[in-house]
Amino acid sequence: MATFGTLDSGRSGARHDPETPLPEHPLPARPLPARTVAVWDPLVRLIHWSLALTILINSVFTEEESKLHEWVGYVALGLVAVRLLWGLIGTRPARFTAFPPSPARALRHLGALAKGDKTVHLSHNPIGALMVYNIWATVVALGLTGYMMGTVTFFGMEWVEEVHEAAFGWLIFSVALHVAGVFFDAWRSGVPLVKAMVDGRKRIPEGTRTE
Amino acid sequence: MISRLLPVLTQERRAATLAVIILFQALCALFFIGDVVIDLQGGDGLVELHLAIEGAVAVGLVAGVVFLMLELRILLQRVASMETGLRAARGEMADLVNHFFDQWGLTPSERDVALMILKGIENEAIAEMRGTAPGTVRAQCAKIYAKAGVDGRSQLLSVFLEELFAQGMDGEIKTAETHKPEQKRYA
Repeated sequence: MATFGTLDSGRSGARHDPETPLPEHPLPARPLPARTVAVWDPLVRLIHWSLALTILINSVFTEEESKLHEWVGYVALGLVAVRLLWGLIGTRPARFTAFPPSPARALRHLGALAKGDKTVHLSHNPIGALMVYNIWATVVALGLTGYMMGTVTFFGMEWVEEVHEAAFGWLIFSVALHVAGVFFDAWRSGVPLVKAMVDGRKRIPEGTRTE
Repeated sequence: MISRLLPVLTQERRAATLAVIILFQALCALFFIGDVVIDLQGGDGLVELHLAIEGAVAVGLVAGVVFLMLELRILLQRVASMETGLRAARGEMADLVNHFFDQWGLTPSERDVALMILKGIENEAIAEMRGTAPGTVRAQCAKIYAKAGVDGRSQLLSVFLEELFAQGMDGEIKTAETHKPEQKRYA
């Protein structure tokens, strides 16, 4: 694709008219330009913020053992279910193939970070991907144990309640880590990640490769 | 240009609406499936026909959700390709600019100056960037305008702007041959 970047084209030297001297510092070859890439489709964003909302509501506002708490929990389960289906048939960055749950990739990503590699992942980065699966799994565990508490078979069984409590603690810890990770990666890569989850577009800084 | 940009916006709004409907319908479907499961556990009389109907409804709802998801994906792909098209149009714009410059027979330094004019850079800044006297840039501008057959900065820009409108209206790219410098337009 032709670009406007011909300010320093080689022609200037070949047929140069004498009244204008060559610029003292010729413009260097241009690095990759800053650009915005559409990444998160509306369904991904809707599910993300809805899930965040259900977690907020159930951890802060609803009373345990209330009907509302139960229903908000089921909605959270449903959100994860829809997201899993979308992970199979959705848009490219939303599909599991774009962010496979691979500890090996996460380790390699850590190594790249240590070396100062600035490559931006258009979907989740490999460490963020692990966090995504972790949060989904934790929400599913919370939903299932919450459901089990209300069934005749498991009613009054203490281990179910203990798992529910433990999963809740783990979820809050994970969410905190997730938020910290987002801000760290936004600072490191220069990509405003929170904005990307709002309008769906990642703004890639100049000179940065994507993967 | 505007007529090409607008669909992208409306398509994105459609995609967002579709996403809301998909999520709502999916949650409804899951609620319904849960209801069916509870009914299955209940086991009152008259259940079999009732269950068959409920099961069919559940299958229909899930099929609807999956179908809408696939529709959404197609819609989003179309939006993406439209954006690519716009970008390509911008690339063609650069080709077009070079084509006009060739037609007008601009010298290399005049090309540089003309490009900076198109980018909206002031004469003083052009002089500074090129390391020349402001008078030199003014002289080069005068030559460029004469070669292009226009009266000044804004008319030089409108040569290219008009090209974009022409593309939008009849769908084909007019070539620079139709813009010979001899005839002076906008007079």
